[in-house]
Amino acid sequence: MKSLFKTTFIASLLVAASALAANAQDSRIQMGSLDHLAAKASQTVDVNIDERLMKLAVRLLSDKDEDEREVKKLVAGLKGIYVKSFEFEADGQYVVTDLEPIRAQLRGAGWTKMVNITSKKEGNVEVYLQFAGENVNGLAVLVTDDKELTVVNIVGPVDLDKLAQLEGQMGIPELGIEKTKKKNDEQ
Amino acid sequence: MKTIATKIFIAVFVTCFTAAPAVYAKGDDFNSVVKMIEDFYRVKHVGIPFLAKAGMKVTTTAARIKGGTARRLAEAGSIKLAVFENQAFNGDFLKFRGSLNSALNETWMPLIQTFSATNAEQTYIYLRNAGDKTHVLVITIDERDATVVQVTLSQKNLALLLKDPEGTGKAITEEATLNDQE
Repeated sequence: MKSLFKTTFIASLLVAASALAANAQDSRIQMGSLDHLAAKASQTVDVNIDERLMKLAVRLLSDKDEDEREVKKLVAGLKGIYVKSFEFEADGQYVVTDLEPIRAQLRGAGWTKMVNITSKKEGNVEVYLQFAGENVNGLAVLVTDDKELTVVNIVGPVDLDKLAQLEGQMGIPELGIEKTKKKNDEQ
Repeated sequence: MKTIATKIFIAVFVTCFTAAPAVYAKGDDFNSVVKMIEDFYRVKHVGIPFLAKAGMKVTTTAARIKGGTARRLAEAGSIKLAVFENQAFNGDFLKFRGSLNSALNETWMPLIQTFSATNAEQTYIYLRNAGDKTHVLVITIDERDATVVQVTLSQKNLALLLKDPEGTGKAITEEATLNDQE
């Protein structure tokens, strides 16, 4: 009985440890904490393109057709695209604490806020990259405005050029993100 | 003994009825979704309009969508359509979304879900692998009307759907309800 208990305990520890290790490297941002905002929002968009769908797309799309080739190239290697976007009719429909669960995730596990980013879009745009060594593992964009809140999360090897190509496609809104090299050089 | 038998009967009876919402989409998902809308909103769907059904021809036929000409999206003969006309769709859409997602979660992949409080409009698009094709389930609900469409898409049209999920989803619904005779 004692031995069974010990085995179960060790197995539980191993499962917990592997789950933590997996989470540490996972660039998927959990956005469920924002779901309650849908009740206050005038417009809500929720996009989920997960790894199954990405793989399906890569498998099915042909290289012969220009349209298909373009999409295939964009999604190759990506493990997911997730978007949650809320538009409100009045100011103050969401508060800073609503975003805290998202920010808490972006404070850990290899996430780095890009400082050399601006956007043509109104409001505050923050771009985060998750690195695994020198490689980019994922990307997150937070757009916060008085009447808008958008979170974009791309899982997998992605860079700002790819993000720019994906804007307005696959449910990703137009973000107008630009890299400001000059500013970066000054820092 | 009789008491135990009665208790078991009641337990089985209660289990069957309380578990019913959770097994909505185990069989024919299209019909389950239609039934779910009917139960949740207490509405009734009307039969597939004959002309819309008759309008489903070949995939390459040019069709009038969004007031212009566009390629047909659905594979010929693949369209399942249920229409709810001029009824009140009052209810907590978050609750409906929760039920829908948990019912379809096992076999369908949610692609995009949009809600507009302004127009009381909800759109849900789900995908399912069907060999070298893809099944697409599009559910749109507004204040007075709703449509459930299931179609089979070719690889090429899946690419279109991925590129513009919202626009292509709307086009699929419009195509399914399109009357070529108009």
